[in-house]
Amino acid sequence: MRKAILIALILAAVAVTASVAAPLGTGTFHDAASMLTRTAVKVSLLFVWLVAAIVVTLASGREVRYSSIEVRSAPLHTFALGLVAVTSYVLTAILFSYLIPYFVGLPLLAVLALFALLTKIYGLIAVFHAVGTLAAGIRSREQLAARRWLRGDLAMVLIGVLLLGAVRLIPIAGTVVWGIASIFGVGTALTTKFGRREPWFLTWRTVEAG
Amino acid sequence: MTDACQRYLEDPEGHAGHLAVCEKCRAMEEILGSRVHAQPIRVDALPLAPWEQAAYRAWPVVIGGMLAVLAVAFAICRAAGISPLTAIVAGMSAAQMRAYVTSAADALRGASLAWQIVFGAAFVVINAVLVVLLRRAPRGIDA
Repeated sequence: MRKAILIALILAAVAVTASVAAPLGTGTFHDAASMLTRTAVKVSLLFVWLVAAIVVTLASGREVRYSSIEVRSAPLHTFALGLVAVTSYVLTAILFSYLIPYFVGLPLLAVLALFALLTKIYGLIAVFHAVGTLAAGIRSREQLAARRWLRGDLAMVLIGVLLLGAVRLIPIAGTVVWGIASIFGVGTALTTKFGRREPWFLTWRTVEAG
Repeated sequence: MTDACQRYLEDPEGHAGHLAVCEKCRAMEEILGSRVHAQPIRVDALPLAPWEQAAYRAWPVVIGGMLAVLAVAFAICRAAGISPLTAIVAGMSAAQMRAYVTSAADALRGASLAWQIVFGAAFVVINAVLVVLLRRAPRGIDA
């Protein structure tokens, strides 16, 4: 059943891509060249994402796994937090840009950009892991014993990058899916505090004498 | 309960012979014995934990995947007539985002006081919601 759904999805993606890339009777040579350039940019960036994902997973695999589990166990909260966080980034960036004439705006903007970039990169790698695990994760000990190569965090991240990267090549839907994945990524990076599972804020409690 | 029964309860293995002569203790032993079913733990029957085999590094899959993506990127870049490095630099450019933010800031500077207050209120509300959402502990492995 899962295989049939997967094949149907791939065929639908191919049909959509083909119809957008080469619409019947209306496409020009310039459109095709522009489409090819966009695809070249996306595939080259996919390679960069792949390298970044492997490096981050090798450096902190456990954290990436925790964040990936969070995406799968609490998707609604993760998405809501990601949406609010992205909106907050945009509003804060506008506010800091507003403050540029007062000299404090520029360094604040640089720090915000760096934090937003780190959140997106780490979070999207966690989403790659989640997608890879959903698509090709091991579900029983028999599967675990039978698989020789296709197991472990690195393989799951790789599968996730390839799947989401392939979906991203679809002209309109790909951009939407990649954007949604980014929102999930920002959400899970912030929810789990980059996989460390520590609270962001300390709670105030009074000491009670026993 | 007799003294012999008491001694048996305190040290059942040392006074195992008591069971042969005392019907009460034999009945109690049967009741206790029938309720205890010691079973060995079957690890294979337990569900798979997320961290099992997670640290395994599938280098052949990783290297194969990277080489495949690299080959496809080179082929498409060659067909498009641009170098892969140019494509990466073009893809990473944040010029569009920067232009949006700058134009929004310019618009805010030129807006009326009422709109600036509305923006400030939206900023405070969104960040308050963000803080509320961040206070919730992650579910993750506890789910």
